[in-house]
Amino acid sequence: MMVLREGMLELTLPPGVRCRKFDSPTHGLQHCMKAVDFIVEEPNLTIFIEFKDPDNPHATPDKREEFLQELLAGTKDDDLVRKYRDSFLYCWAENKVENPIVYFVLIAASQLDEAMLLAITDVLKRKLPLKGPPGWKRRIVSDCSVFNLESWNKHLPRYRIRRI
Amino acid sequence: MTITKITLENFTAFKKLEVEFTPGINVLIGANGTGKTHLMKVAYAACDISKTQLNFSEKLVRVFLPSGRALGRLVRRRGKSTRCVIEVFRQSLKLRISFSNHTISPDSATITGAREWMAAPVESVYIPVKEMLANAPGFRSLYSQREIHFEEIYSDILDRAYRPALRGPIDRKRKKLLENLQKLMVGKVAVKDDEFFLKSKHGNLEFTLLAEGMRKLGLLWLLVQNGTLLHGSVLFWDEPETNLNPTLFGPLIQSLLELQRMGVQIFLATHDYVILKELDLRRNEKDKILFHSLYRNQEGDEIQCHSTSEYTEIHPNTIAETFVDLYNREIKRTLEGVSK
Repeated sequence: MMVLREGMLELTLPPGVRCRKFDSPTHGLQHCMKAVDFIVEEPNLTIFIEFKDPDNPHATPDKREEFLQELLAGTKDDDLVRKYRDSFLYCWAENKVENPIVYFVLIAASQLDEAMLLAITDVLKRKLPLKGPPGWKRRIVSDCSVFNLESWNKHLPRYRIRRI
Repeated sequence: MTITKITLENFTAFKKLEVEFTPGINVLIGANGTGKTHLMKVAYAACDISKTQLNFSEKLVRVFLPSGRALGRLVRRRGKSTRCVIEVFRQSLKLRISFSNHTISPDSATITGAREWMAAPVESVYIPVKEMLANAPGFRSLYSQREIHFEEIYSDILDRAYRPALRGPIDRKRKKLLENLQKLMVGKVAVKDDEFFLKSKHGNLEFTLLAEGMRKLGLLWLLVQNGTLLHGSVLFWDEPETNLNPTLFGPLIQSLLELQRMGVQIFLATHDYVILKELDLRRNEKDKILFHSLYRNQEGDEIQCHSTSEYTEIHPNTIAETFVDLYNREIKRTLEGVSK
């Protein structure tokens, strides 16, 4: 089983899937393109994964509060959207967009309850966007979901995350 | 003097209940039929008679409006003779009333503590779910002259709204609060020939032409402006979220927090997540907020209450549970969709 680390969080992958740590120096275009943290390849599905960790033990209470305020004010949405779109373009240029792509965002903040997760998920769906005008023949993203640590492990037990 | 505790025994839906209150903001949540409004009406009736000197049993009849104005119909239905007891506390003061399901006339109820209770009058306001200001002209005189089937809370709120402004300069906090409400309404409230208007730079707009949510803000503005809501008063507000756009919930809650800081005791009954969350996000450490979750026990025959000052410890929280269910179904749909 492959185990990947991002900051203070550890992601365990199920056997048989490939994964690359995408937001890393090997990306090569970090000066002009944003990147999601991980790209997982299942046989028929690609998963873009982004971690946000305001509950990181090293984060100061002020920083944690600032992150949540920005999140609730909607200023973090554009960052999440851009990370997805830039990563999608990068993969497209690599000619690696073969499977449908789903975007999973983990926001490790204990204060985020289901109502807020639901609201952020809906905004992300609108902004990515999930569906285009009638002229679009393909989707740029199949679907997306936003989780906190608890809901991630509940709904995605094959991709367990633990705090180190 | 604030309401500190209420005990109810065999009253309407309640078998036996005791709830202690904070002098700050008390938020009542619970599914339909768990008695939030009844609890507030009892507390309001007790506050109101401290000023009007009306008999407590008579006020209960006027506020609850049981069929035939029979007081005994407010006793919990058990299919046998039952006596109900209500006790309302304000620090050391206790107002107690008891009556049976056979009681018809309010005069037959046994009331104790009324003299001391009325010697310490408290100003109170009950804002009902239905907005009344737009229909105010003529309603009060109709209510006083005819037997129309309206709970007295509707007439009472108009009495408060029609009060003229207080004499003298307005203190800084009240002024700031009024200005904040004026910004939201983009105007002030004016009364002309018993009719309410929103007065702005564009002229006077009748309340009947104004969005219902705005009328609610206008009512709050009036109550602050005319000095009904001052230090030591009690505000009861049933579902403040009704007809108000969620973008206004934040400023509204901010106004209520300010009122609480000015020494107004507040009771809110709500079904709304944003109202709860705004309170949680906007409160500071000194704000006194108590969440009361009313719920039926497992057998369903008794209403119980769990009170907590922490938003995250509200239990049971039917509002949050609804979102948990929605969220879980949303994730399920996504995961099922991508695995096809």
